[in-house]
Amino acid sequence: MVSPYPPLRDGIAAYAQQQVAALRREGHDVEVLSPGPSAAHYHLDLVGPRGALALAKRVVGYDLVIVQFHPDFFYPPGAGQSDRAAVGLALSAAFARAKRVEVVVHEVDYRYGRGTSPAALITRQLWRRVDQISVHSQSEVDSFREAFGVQSSHIRVVDPGATFVPHTPLDQAQARASLGIAQDATVFLSIGFIQPHKGFDRAVRAFSGMGRGGVRLDVVGSVRVEDPAFVRYADDLEGLAARIPGAHVHLGFVSDELFDRWIVASDVVVLPYREIWSSSVMERALLFGRRVIATRVGALVEQAHEEDGVTIVDDDAGLRAAMRREAGGGAEAVVEVQPWPTAAAGRTAIQEQVVLRAARRRGHAVPMGDHHEVSTVVGTGAVSAPLRRLGDVHLPDPGHGRGLRVLVRKVVRKVTAWQVQPVVDQLNAVRRASVESVERASEAGQDGPTPAPESRPGG
Amino acid sequence: MSRRQGKVAFVPARYGDRIVGGAEIVLRHMAFGLQKRGWDVEILTTTALDHHTWKNETEPGVTVEDGMPVRRFTVDGDALPERGALEHRILTGDPLTISEQQRWMNSGMRAPDLYHYILDSSDEYRAFVFTPYPFWVTFACSQIVPHKSVLWTCLHDEPYAYLELFQPVFTGSAGLLFQSDPEQDLAERITSKLAPHKVVGCGVEVPASYDPEGFRERYGIEGRFLLYAGRREGAKGWDELLEILADIDARGQFPFTLVTMGGGEVRPPAGFEGKVIDVGFLDDDERDNAFAAADAYIQPSRFEAFSRTIMEAWLAGTPVIANGGSDVVKWHCERSGAGLTYDDALELEEALRFVAEAPEEAAALAVSGREYVLSHYQWETVLDAVEAQIEAWTGVDA
Repeated sequence: MVSPYPPLRDGIAAYAQQQVAALRREGHDVEVLSPGPSAAHYHLDLVGPRGALALAKRVVGYDLVIVQFHPDFFYPPGAGQSDRAAVGLALSAAFARAKRVEVVVHEVDYRYGRGTSPAALITRQLWRRVDQISVHSQSEVDSFREAFGVQSSHIRVVDPGATFVPHTPLDQAQARASLGIAQDATVFLSIGFIQPHKGFDRAVRAFSGMGRGGVRLDVVGSVRVEDPAFVRYADDLEGLAARIPGAHVHLGFVSDELFDRWIVASDVVVLPYREIWSSSVMERALLFGRRVIATRVGALVEQAHEEDGVTIVDDDAGLRAAMRREAGGGAEAVVEVQPWPTAAAGRTAIQEQVVLRAARRRGHAVPMGDHHEVSTVVGTGAVSAPLRRLGDVHLPDPGHGRGLRVLVRKVVRKVTAWQVQPVVDQLNAVRRASVESVERASEAGQDGPTPAPESRPGG
Repeated sequence: MSRRQGKVAFVPARYGDRIVGGAEIVLRHMAFGLQKRGWDVEILTTTALDHHTWKNETEPGVTVEDGMPVRRFTVDGDALPERGALEHRILTGDPLTISEQQRWMNSGMRAPDLYHYILDSSDEYRAFVFTPYPFWVTFACSQIVPHKSVLWTCLHDEPYAYLELFQPVFTGSAGLLFQSDPEQDLAERITSKLAPHKVVGCGVEVPASYDPEGFRERYGIEGRFLLYAGRREGAKGWDELLEILADIDARGQFPFTLVTMGGGEVRPPAGFEGKVIDVGFLDDDERDNAFAAADAYIQPSRFEAFSRTIMEAWLAGTPVIANGGSDVVKWHCERSGAGLTYDDALELEEALRFVAEAPEEAAALAVSGREYVLSHYQWETVLDAVEAQIEAWTGVDA
């Protein structure tokens, strides 16, 4: 088994570990190789062609090599065409040397198999060398066939929970007691690695205004890699939660046991992902009988297929509405979306409704019934309007068509994107932070002046 | 000084019946309006029609177009290399020295022949009416005989407005005509000693009737649609609008088609091409029919001195959704009670949702818009005010 492995806390590691356990229970002799030091038998840096060639030396002698596949294990960050081609060739060599290779796909970028570039051809060849590819949904089967030209007979859909083993024996009351959570609380939980595409900030924003009557949201996890963007995201998430009553962020190492304990302690697991292929968190939540609210991304809909207790939402408004329904009486101050005012009610009423609905989707609590609160939201929005009007920065569209000019633009964009895109991302982050900052200042101002600090002895 | 004596020259940098540009269109209407009232009116302009290329497209000399004398002069339209850099610095807020501001102004389109004609012939005219303020023709030519120069200012809150270069124009002209209170407020904010000025509004033609169904049939438009009319360029918010609508559409939340008329490339984002219909440049009647057929009119521009198009929408009974970054447009929407504004993509999406989910209420919202236009912006009212100001600020023997 080639995979991240415990004690590294990682959904794939946990998945691999349970698969190893199941195989060993069946009597197989299983050894594990992980990308870094772990409880695995061996470890090896797998990134880049050198890593894949090193893997090629190790696979000989095994009857079966099972690879838990995530691109980050093999491809260097920001890999370009040549990098992908080199890694693809090296991995192909590794797979060719093994008697039999099975790959469990946790994430893959189908774009890299499309087109006629050498990298695409090599990537398709790589996947065709695999004897069996396991995915978690039928749509992934279809995508694999289309993007990589792999025959259906080589692809199977596996139940990600098939090898489930609980890591905690506690019941909900015990789990809550151990975590210091009131027994009568309504607990929303978002758990996993803290990184932007997990969208935990969406859950926090959606929760805004619900933290009353014992309703709480706990975001639990750690930063997977010390990427500055991820670290900053975690900092921002903590800052965001600090502003929203009832929202808590618990940053730190989460063992398999603690991971499951949090799930058991929760009522509803919230998966506000921006991107994901499948979710082991959803699987574990369902296996523990917890309700799930998830965004409609990747194959989550298929993963949740026919499962009771799963609510799929399309956007932030849907997320908020679903959480509000689950929060029940604890969120009585936040009412459902009101119908559009009639024209007879006047333009101001309709305009206010536009602003409030948009504010809600940005994560504001919007207590419709309280005129003072409504005025606050509208007033805050007016303060941040000049910044919000700027909108996000995007790389210029190279245009479409086949002309030379368009081709040159596309090439320039591809060649420079690795340098320019981080600047674009940073600009957008600065803008969003600025919006948040002025809105916080505005809200503080509307709440009244900040009390003067008490004089210090001797000061 | 008696009424309607002396020749009045209207001096737009471009002139023609197919020019897309609010200021130029208004000046043309104003010229015809004053001519009809008995004024001796002439157009002084260039041979260029496109404000991007400033290419000489018509013949220099005097012609009579639809009964209006038009005197055209060739343009030196080749921009110098440094113009782009200076323009970029202006737009990004980098302060320019006066010398640099002047180099910027003179490194783009120029019309020396027109300049010299006014220099030579100013005695023959009672007044020169220029528009808009940032163009070389206005800047350079209005200062030849400032006591005869009246500006249809078209001032909006943009980086150019704050250039020191324009202060002499704003302070030393015979008079400044403003179209709205916000425009006047801005002028007073950026200039301490403003030249004589007056808010006179802006005239809009009132169509006798509309044929929305005919418009749909002639252009093969089915289903609900939003309309954008005007120049399709970044400064008008066109690209940003397309990006936002494409994003909404990609999420399956966009039940409209976007119909656009006017000039400029459409350039819809990939995947959104099928939702944009370009009907090109329409004559006035068909333009009005388009407004009447639309579910809503979108005004994405932050840089509007008046926005005739929202008036045309309201006259046609169509609600307006506009960028709240334009003080003038926001002022119109609030005063009329007939338009919604947005400050970001989410607010635009919610405003569209209102039109989608409550179409009858949206249409009802627009009703007060027609009354607003009829009350404030009919040409006769505006021309009365313009005439009064020309007479007050200039004299026959001046």
